[in-house]
Amino acid sequence: MLNTILQLAVSGAALGFVYALVGIEYSLIWNATGLLNFSHDKIITLGAYVAAGLFFTKMGLPIPVSFILSIVVMILVGFLMATVVLNPLRKMTTIFTIMGTILFGKMIYELIRLLYGSAPFTVPGLMTGTVHIGSLVIAKSNVYIIVIAVIVVAALQIFMQTTKTGKAMRCVQQNKKASELMGINVKQNIRITAAISSVICLIIGFMVIPLYTVSLSMASMIGLKGFAAGVVGGFGFLPGCIVGGIVVGLIESASVLVIPSVYKDAVAFLVLIIFLLIKPTGILGKKS
Amino acid sequence: MKSRKNIISIVCLIAAVILPWLFNSTYYLSLFGQTLINIIIVFGLNFITGLTRNMNLGTAGIMAVGAYTSALLSTRLGLSPWIGLVAAILVGFLIGRGLGYPSLRISGVYLSLTTIAFGEIVRLVLNNTTSVTGGAQGLTNVPVFSIFGIQIQRGIPFYYFLLLFMLLMFWLSTRIVRSKWGRAFKAISDNPDAAESLGIDIAKIKILAFTLAAIYAALGGALYGNLMGYLNPSTFNFDFSINFVIMLMIGGIGIVRGNIIGAIVVTMLPELLRFLGDYYQLVFYTIAFIGAIKLPQGWPAGIASLAKWIARKTGLKSRKEG
Repeated sequence: MLNTILQLAVSGAALGFVYALVGIEYSLIWNATGLLNFSHDKIITLGAYVAAGLFFTKMGLPIPVSFILSIVVMILVGFLMATVVLNPLRKMTTIFTIMGTILFGKMIYELIRLLYGSAPFTVPGLMTGTVHIGSLVIAKSNVYIIVIAVIVVAALQIFMQTTKTGKAMRCVQQNKKASELMGINVKQNIRITAAISSVICLIIGFMVIPLYTVSLSMASMIGLKGFAAGVVGGFGFLPGCIVGGIVVGLIESASVLVIPSVYKDAVAFLVLIIFLLIKPTGILGKKS
Repeated sequence: MKSRKNIISIVCLIAAVILPWLFNSTYYLSLFGQTLINIIIVFGLNFITGLTRNMNLGTAGIMAVGAYTSALLSTRLGLSPWIGLVAAILVGFLIGRGLGYPSLRISGVYLSLTTIAFGEIVRLVLNNTTSVTGGAQGLTNVPVFSIFGIQIQRGIPFYYFLLLFMLLMFWLSTRIVRSKWGRAFKAISDNPDAAESLGIDIAKIKILAFTLAAIYAALGGALYGNLMGYLNPSTFNFDFSINFVIMLMIGGIGIVRGNIIGAIVVTMLPELLRFLGDYYQLVFYTIAFIGAIKLPQGWPAGIASLAKWIARKTGLKSRKEG
């Protein structure tokens, strides 16, 4: 029993870190533009397809090289998204901002489907195998996910705290008008934010390949659950995303002990609705 | 102007009446039936998303609950589809109340997340309660309606039945939009504070709008079950919910006549653009995306203003020439 609980805890924490990264990735855009990026799950999918589908499988490049090339591609995707979607939508009403990002996501989805077909595939030998600690058996992919997520979060924190661009991003988050008056180029800021967000999407997409394989719907659930993570932790607040992600991941994992596992996916949505009704500011959120 | 509008309406109505005789095949009749049902559902969505500007991305979930309520009552318990229809309306009423309450505390993107979560939960439950709903296998043999012992067969009779229903809902929608309720819906989206100071109970009106939307969607769902004779949880996914909002956007948000145009365009466009083959969806979403950004007032209004602009330009030119 103890072993089961520990194993569930590890896989829950790993999933939690994935949700946390998803939360961070869309919170960055939320903070820079005030838009909720509903196309983010498609960008995650795109990242996985570019890295695993284009550079690794089709061109046969080694994994590190394909990853670095994918970063370049995803930065361009981020710039494109900022110019085509985020900047034009910034001044429109909620219905159009939501539908604009959703439709952009559908365009990416169709593009991937036309280029790669709808058959799922996987990257053989990527983060497979298990680690034994005593009698506990842990999938290596879970360990990798936790390590990579911690590195990404740390790097992002250092970037936000020390560099001039990072500081500008935090200024825009606090007050868009004032930062514009102080000479911060908000549009440029959005472009950079979108690029960073896309790169994080790529990392998420790559990390979850061992869990979900590369398929068109690989990220639809983690995309929605990432929203739950953000709401649970505190919307638009990066440390909140991490706490929220881990809470959602652990609750979801633990729910298997109580209810049939087919309803596992519904748990995150239920948590989302409960938090929105009872504490919309989240666990760490401040009162606005 | 008013008489011209009336003439257009009558022409459209005549076209709708003779349409099934021109395209008399099972496939087309099912497509037309779906169009009519989509029109009904968009009428409902217009109240909540169009007039009060609260995003609802769970339409497919509400529709699914209506469809399954009606279909399960008639297939498992052997009750008349009419009772199923009434039950669906009742369930829609309850869902609307239930979804309306969150909308008092949360708004904007938070509300859209709640409605998405609702839709996903409905789909998961329908998929996994196999003993009742048939799960992913689907629910078959949903019966058709009968009036005074005469069955309304699928095909042309059912098309006219749906057409009558759609016209009834159209009449009801225009009445509601022009009533005190409809004006209150618009007022609370334009300026909630001013609306409240004029004695409009915002909470009550918001829940009312949600309830109307849910009743329309549940009713549409029940009719959908009767039209297809077969239900599957995977039909009622997030993409389906999005399509209803696209219909609303294309027709022009808040305009009842526009709802009809939007629903027709989105449901029939796959037929017109069939030559695009696999590329159809990419083209469709791209057009809808550009429309959302460039023509936020809807396509009919956008095209009208474009025509006016061209007329003014050419008018200016001819004046210069002369």
